[in-house]
Amino acid sequence: MDFDDTPDEAAWRAKVRAFIEEHREELGRRGDEQRFDDRVARARQALLYDGGLVGVTWPVEAGGQGGTPMQQAIVDQELARAEVPGLINLIGIGMCGPTVIHHGSPEQHRRYLKRLLRADDVWCQLFSEPASGSDLAALRTRAVRTEDGSWRISGQKVWTTLAHLADHGIVLTRTDPDVAKHRGLTMFVVDMKAPGVTVRPLRQMSGGADFNEVFFDDVVVPDEERLGDVGDGWRVALTTLMSERLSLGGGGTEIGVGSAAIAEHVARHVGDLSADRQALVRQELGRAYVDSLGTRYTGYRQLSAISRGDLPGPEASAGKLAGTRSARDLADLAVRVLGEHAAYAVGPSGSSTWQDLQAVLPGMAIAGGTDQVLRNVIGERVLGLPPEPRADKGVTFRESLAAAGA
Amino acid sequence: MNFDLDDEQRDLAASARDFLASSASPAVARAALDADHPAAAALAPGRDALVASGFATITVPESAGGGGGSLLDLAVVAEQAGRVLAGPSLITFARAAVLLAGDDERLARLVDGSLRVAVVDGTGPVLDAASADTFLTLRGDDLVCGPGAVDVRAPIDPTRGLGQVVLGDVEVLAPDARLRWEHAERVGRVVLAAEDLGAAGRALEIGVAYARERQAFGRAIGSYQAVKHALVDVYVQVEQLRSLVWWAAWAADQADDKLPMAAAAAKAAAATTLTTAAETLIQVHGGIGFTWEHDAHLYWRRAKVDRFLLGDDVAAYDEVARLAIAQALAGDGPSAEAGASAEAAVAAR
Repeated sequence: MDFDDTPDEAAWRAKVRAFIEEHREELGRRGDEQRFDDRVARARQALLYDGGLVGVTWPVEAGGQGGTPMQQAIVDQELARAEVPGLINLIGIGMCGPTVIHHGSPEQHRRYLKRLLRADDVWCQLFSEPASGSDLAALRTRAVRTEDGSWRISGQKVWTTLAHLADHGIVLTRTDPDVAKHRGLTMFVVDMKAPGVTVRPLRQMSGGADFNEVFFDDVVVPDEERLGDVGDGWRVALTTLMSERLSLGGGGTEIGVGSAAIAEHVARHVGDLSADRQALVRQELGRAYVDSLGTRYTGYRQLSAISRGDLPGPEASAGKLAGTRSARDLADLAVRVLGEHAAYAVGPSGSSTWQDLQAVLPGMAIAGGTDQVLRNVIGERVLGLPPEPRADKGVTFRESLAAAGA
Repeated sequence: MNFDLDDEQRDLAASARDFLASSASPAVARAALDADHPAAAALAPGRDALVASGFATITVPESAGGGGGSLLDLAVVAEQAGRVLAGPSLITFARAAVLLAGDDERLARLVDGSLRVAVVDGTGPVLDAASADTFLTLRGDDLVCGPGAVDVRAPIDPTRGLGQVVLGDVEVLAPDARLRWEHAERVGRVVLAAEDLGAAGRALEIGVAYARERQAFGRAIGSYQAVKHALVDVYVQVEQLRSLVWWAAWAADQADDKLPMAAAAAKAAAATTLTTAAETLIQVHGGIGFTWEHDAHLYWRRAKVDRFLLGDDVAAYDEVARLAIAQALAGDGPSAEAGASAEAAVAAR
């Protein structure tokens, strides 16, 4: 047992670190920018791509490095450590691109992949809808084939990160409502600037507006932009979601807030409290800190598996499940120790770091798989418990809609 | 990064499991509770058989006849002991091995079974006192050893052999032994957490098996989210505890500076996790779950006692917080780690 890099990993880490050092100022730092500027973010990703640090696990013929998931994990760790802001095309790299690689035509590969990695084009993923979140296969956006063979898409998507900036998206549609819900789906690449695409920002409870609702009104998509066969969209979507798990890399990254950062914050403020309250705050800190250590070291076990060449399995969901809980506990504590300022959105120094974080974290327990869906995944696929009953089994999508009175 | 057991440790776990499960079980623990004098009832595998197996003294150096193994090796065995509620505890042997380091004569007697020792913390209940006749304790800063009178009282968990000890004439084994004493206590916490990991993991298995079988309202109760999610929450806690136990054992073996935090975190997580696992086990079983005949309460008894051993959980959480705050104030916390590894890179966040 050890926590050390293998010689190969150490050499790769040194290379990554040297690149970051060399371009330290150009890469920017988290929190430096007053307003998000997508041109700056695109330029940053292009710089990292040209340095070989984007699309590490992608095949060379797709524009990637043909590297290992462990090399990608090391890049992620070092960028996070250096406080380099996240890649603008994270969803494109982690989800859209792999789907195009697996199911797209050579022409689509040539047209899209390298531009995606360099952030010449920004991509979004159009899956969730107002009436289908966790139950993704219940989606209603329709694609209808026209006489010339092209498709017309109508419907509404929601929670679409970066749709307002995106050049392209992958969109999951229903092409046949008269078969079971998983069978009648088809995936396309859609031009987000095409006529009939309307994007409206959605404001989150934290006040931020990172994602959008997207309306499709008879948007024409040529058949050449189809990904996979007609009616095979569910299988194509599973590729997307599987790639998401791989791209996240498992291992040991903390959600929302690092326990070290929180301990520093609490350490600075705990002395202001009465002795009784200090003891109570230490109980809260101790519990949340132990949970975050447990999550971190469980992540190291996944990272070790990746280092050996194994792929993360469904048990990786436990990290997100536990991480969102301990992050919320830590953020609550961080606000609590602000004392009489804790009930206000902004402190006397003008800082709102912890209040903002507190308002972001409830969403983390929903985005990318709700706590409840993750518990079902672990319960059924790790513990072997019987599956949820499904009321829409063995009926067509149209029949299930009718049964639901929709 | 290779944060995992190796093949030898997996083999060790398998052979420990064979040995321990052949004698110890919740049924033996229940029989002890049913005995006329529960506190004096026979433990399984019992002190003599446990010593004879060699598992108890894995961490004693080979020069003194021990196994010459690591604390991680012992933790792997302790997990198996916890699964079947074995007694006496490996905690006792692990602490004695640290306290008697360099005293090859006494260590050899620990290995051959003629030294029947327990470790006394202050005036509280003493783990495995019921099967001991010689006691180690800290007096001032001196490590002392001697006989004692044991008063065993009605146990909540009969497998822990708890008793009140009044020491007789003691001899000083080592002066200025406080640091060694504290190290032994932390090593004990790691083994305690490993035993609780085994108990909690076994409680989860029993609960999952029942949830797959038991039918209510026309389907298996494990298909209901209310039951399924409760078991998943235990699973997540058990796996996190496993990570902390391995980390703490590794720290004891290879990174002493990390041991205080790791041992306190493992101890605290063990208390919380075993309590949740045992309560969930009872709840999932419904009416049968709180009967004397069912095994669930034997794991629950272990939880209710272990949370108080080697400092209680509240004290352990407080220690974690104090250490985290001290690290932050000193500026030498994880965020200041400069090492070139995944651990350093992630901890820096």
